[in-house]
Amino acid sequence: MTNNEMPPALELHDVSVSYHKKPVLYGVDMALPAGSLAGLIGPNGAGKSTLIKAAMGLLPVHSGWVKFFGEPLEGVRKRVGYVPQREEVDWDFPVSVMDVVLMGRYGHLGWLRRPGKADRRVAEESLEKVGMLPFRDRQISNLSGGQQQRVFLARALAQDSDLYLMDEPFAGVDAATEKAIITLLKEWREKGKTILVVHHDLTTARDYYDRLVLLNMRVVASGPTADVFTMELLQKTYGGRLTILSDVAAEAQRAEDGVKI
Amino acid sequence: MMALCGLGVLGQAVGLNGRLAATEAVVTGGMLDLIPAFDWQKVVVAPWTVDIGLYGWMMLMAFLVTTACGLIGNYLLLRRLALVGDAISHSVLPGLVAGFLIFGSLGIGPMLVGAVLAGVLTTVLIELIHSHSRVKADAAIGITFCSLFALGVLLINVYAGQVHLDAECVLYGELSHVPWAEQVTVLGVSMPLPVLVMGVATGIVALLTGLFYKELLISSFDAGLAAAFGFRPRVIHYTLMAMLSLVVVAAFESVGAILVIAMLILPGATAQLLSTRLPVCFGLSVAHAALSSVLGVHLGLWLGCSLAAAVVVAGTGLFGLAWGVSLMGRRRVEIESGSA
Amino acid sequence: MRFLILIALLLLTEGSANASRIGDVGEVDAWGQAVRFFSFQDASLRLALAGALLVGLNCGLLGGYVVVRRMALVGDMLSHAVLPGIVLGFLWAQTKDPVAILIGALLAGAAATGVSSLLARTTRLKPDAIQGLVLASFYGVGICLLGLVQNLPTGAKSGLDKFLFGQAAGLSGNDVMMMAVATGLSLVLVGWLYHDLLALSFHRGFGQTLGLKMGLLHGVIMLLTAFAIIVAMQAVGVVLVSAMLIIPAATAYLLTDRMHRLLGLSAVLGMAAAGVGAFGSFLGNNLPTGPLMVLAGALFFAAAFLFSPRHGWVTRVLRQRRRRARAERENTLKAMHRVLEDHGLAGVSVREGVTLAELSAQRRESVGESGERVRDLVRAGLATVSQDGHILFFTPAGEQRARAIVRNHRLWELYLTHAASFSPDHVHDQAEEIEHVLGEETVRQLSRRLDFPEVDPHGRPIPTVDAIHGVGAATEKGGLGYQ
Repeated sequence: MTNNEMPPALELHDVSVSYHKKPVLYGVDMALPAGSLAGLIGPNGAGKSTLIKAAMGLLPVHSGWVKFFGEPLEGVRKRVGYVPQREEVDWDFPVSVMDVVLMGRYGHLGWLRRPGKADRRVAEESLEKVGMLPFRDRQISNLSGGQQQRVFLARALAQDSDLYLMDEPFAGVDAATEKAIITLLKEWREKGKTILVVHHDLTTARDYYDRLVLLNMRVVASGPTADVFTMELLQKTYGGRLTILSDVAAEAQRAEDGVKI
Repeated sequence: MMALCGLGVLGQAVGLNGRLAATEAVVTGGMLDLIPAFDWQKVVVAPWTVDIGLYGWMMLMAFLVTTACGLIGNYLLLRRLALVGDAISHSVLPGLVAGFLIFGSLGIGPMLVGAVLAGVLTTVLIELIHSHSRVKADAAIGITFCSLFALGVLLINVYAGQVHLDAECVLYGELSHVPWAEQVTVLGVSMPLPVLVMGVATGIVALLTGLFYKELLISSFDAGLAAAFGFRPRVIHYTLMAMLSLVVVAAFESVGAILVIAMLILPGATAQLLSTRLPVCFGLSVAHAALSSVLGVHLGLWLGCSLAAAVVVAGTGLFGLAWGVSLMGRRRVEIESGSA
Repeated sequence: MRFLILIALLLLTEGSANASRIGDVGEVDAWGQAVRFFSFQDASLRLALAGALLVGLNCGLLGGYVVVRRMALVGDMLSHAVLPGIVLGFLWAQTKDPVAILIGALLAGAAATGVSSLLARTTRLKPDAIQGLVLASFYGVGICLLGLVQNLPTGAKSGLDKFLFGQAAGLSGNDVMMMAVATGLSLVLVGWLYHDLLALSFHRGFGQTLGLKMGLLHGVIMLLTAFAIIVAMQAVGVVLVSAMLIIPAATAYLLTDRMHRLLGLSAVLGMAAAGVGAFGSFLGNNLPTGPLMVLAGALFFAAAFLFSPRHGWVTRVLRQRRRRARAERENTLKAMHRVLEDHGLAGVSVREGVTLAELSAQRRESVGESGERVRDLVRAGLATVSQDGHILFFTPAGEQRARAIVRNHRLWELYLTHAASFSPDHVHDQAEEIEHVLGEETVRQLSRRLDFPEVDPHGRPIPTVDAIHGVGAATEKGGLGYQ
């Protein structure tokens, strides 16, 4: 199914990142084939957000390199979209929903040009897709958590990239939004886009993603969900610290044993 | 106290007038003339021998101011209130003026009352703006202290005839303008009145921070926990702010409102670069205060600039030194961990 | 350099801080002064006013970015930290060259910013501590250098006092020109880079991933701010210049929810404050311009803080009180409906009344309290009272409203017991709070989801939509749309 000639959508080689001189990521190697919907999971402080930010050039990388579609980021910026965590943004900021989604078009505008009619149309279509068009003129502080996340997704959609790196899009959203988001992401995958999602809920990770990257300072395992979502590897990742692990591990064990759930 | 200080500045200005007229357009000297020659006798020997009667007191005064500020400053840094310190140091001005207008004199009493009230008012206003609107804390601080300061300057100008208080002096106090001549005798030692006042203020601050060490520490670290213990973090907060206002007023005359911020932050910041333990930080702050006062007075004498500014420059130098040391320490740790 | 020497002269002849007023007032009365002000015939007045307005415009505009980016006190830091640069610029040029001073100040500002970010990266010090530290240290160095300059045989007292309190009165044509250049530059760049700056302010990291040059943009806006501060300092002084950055912008922040409007409004408010300040200073005897400008701005802020249509404190309190009063009225209507229902008369005829005693018993309150509520209902046109004041009748609008609220209440109760599995004796209080805020659309959805129920958990009938609209002619507007 995958074409061997095609370079991976995202490739990290020996990437190390330190924060205040403390290593957060240590020699991370990872490759994400194009067209996959992948979950990046690991315990708190494992460096999940750090990995995404370092890949996007938002944090200085101590060593190693990152390539997108076989090239450094500079050359392929328009093909790569980043969806930050909701908490990183000041939601009191004086902008409307439309303004935020239009920001997704800025990368296509180039230096010093302003968004035109076509860009507005793209933004409106994106809002329609996530069911937020009626809110287009709302100030963003009047939105619920789920609505805020939908706005971010609409912005990503407006960016029209081939690869998306998403930082905890499911954090603090209602069940309906979570379902809507994962449906949308699966739709994107069908269109050939590649998506890497920082995810913290082990109970849903197996259903959502076709690939998983298990991270705890280093990549513990990376591959198709069926191969990676095993009790042994999860235990290795989480170090047996989380209570949730016992439930999930049991479930994984059953799956491994071939028991239908 | 303040009236005298204003006179000093005025005298200086008049002196300059003549000089300026003589050299208005022709600018000849070079950058090299800027730094005077280092006169060992004048700069190092004299302050400790012949002139110790003046410079000794000045160094002591600088030390007292810096110590009092440094002790409180440590808590300000812990509580991330450094800029509230900045704010209060400016906004006590209208308090001083109001104190004068109400009590009709600039004795220590009215001044302190006015300053403490203004300090608490500042804190209350900042919180009010911050919690009852979407304006963020930083803007709330800026709005509050700028408005109060503007009010103070305006009041001084309106009542210029009645208030012998010079806004310039409040901003730019100067060690050498302190009225050193007023002597009082305490326990058989004759000392200048301002030194006594500052000594008492510093003593109170040291005593309070010592007595309430536990309460201050826990409420700075975790206000919720402190409340659960029944320590009333709000009371502690307002007490700290009142103490800050007191120290700021006491320090005005010698260092002025702007440089007092340096005294508030530099000792604590320097100490925090070198140690992570609060008691050690206090010790280091006092050491920083002593060193910067002595070095600063000498530096000021050498360069012939404002002694208060020179103390700040010396303190900045010490901070730079500590920064360098902390950077080297970090590198060493890195190398060790790298080889391990 | 001319302005420095000019100011030094002004200063020395006039004494100290009170030199900063504009009007050269003799024995003229306030009216005469006002006429003089608005005739704009005074050349020095024109300069001072132009300077003040330019400063207000420029600082207001750039302040918008400073405030939304939570960097309000960066202005304060910059205004203090440029002092050593000003002195060194003066020394280096040795001629009457304002450009040298400007360059020196900008370099000092850049150095201060650089040291700040270096400290942030290499130490554990918190941002507020770093800001205060850099501000005070640079300032201390500046004061020290100034002392050295004063000791030089050539050293004029280089305009320190001008940078202290600012002297709109002492502005020369050159200074105003400089202000115009700074303001023009800000206007052009902000207009040109509006979207890029929006991305920077909203989320720097995201902008960076788009490939926008965030570092460069940040540099541009900081440089513009530093430039604005340096030229504005001559008019309002070192301490108060940050006020001109913060206060108009914070006021605008309370008044609008869109960035472009915020910038425009902030600039206008800045100019208004500056104009009022200049006018006040001209009018009164002995009044300095800078503090008046700031206080005028502070008044605007206070007004917005209290009365802003959406974010004002008083506005919000009033809105809350209105909402509470409305809920109270609706509760009284509901109680009337209950009484009639118990008599088996609900919806039968508008002509049936409820006695005050019945109402107060239903609401579990004294007759006096109920009388108060009845008066409120009558005022709102929802009920009428019999001649003797003891019997209460619905008006058609009141009846309609009563049914609507009863319907809301009972539907919501039913929903809680069904969907949220509350036990029937728990739901009443919950419903009390929610029923007043349910919109018509939500109520319809509720009804649909509950499969158009006819009785509530307590077995009482739920009024249907037809029953509500069948009575009275008042049209509904957005749910419970009466005030």
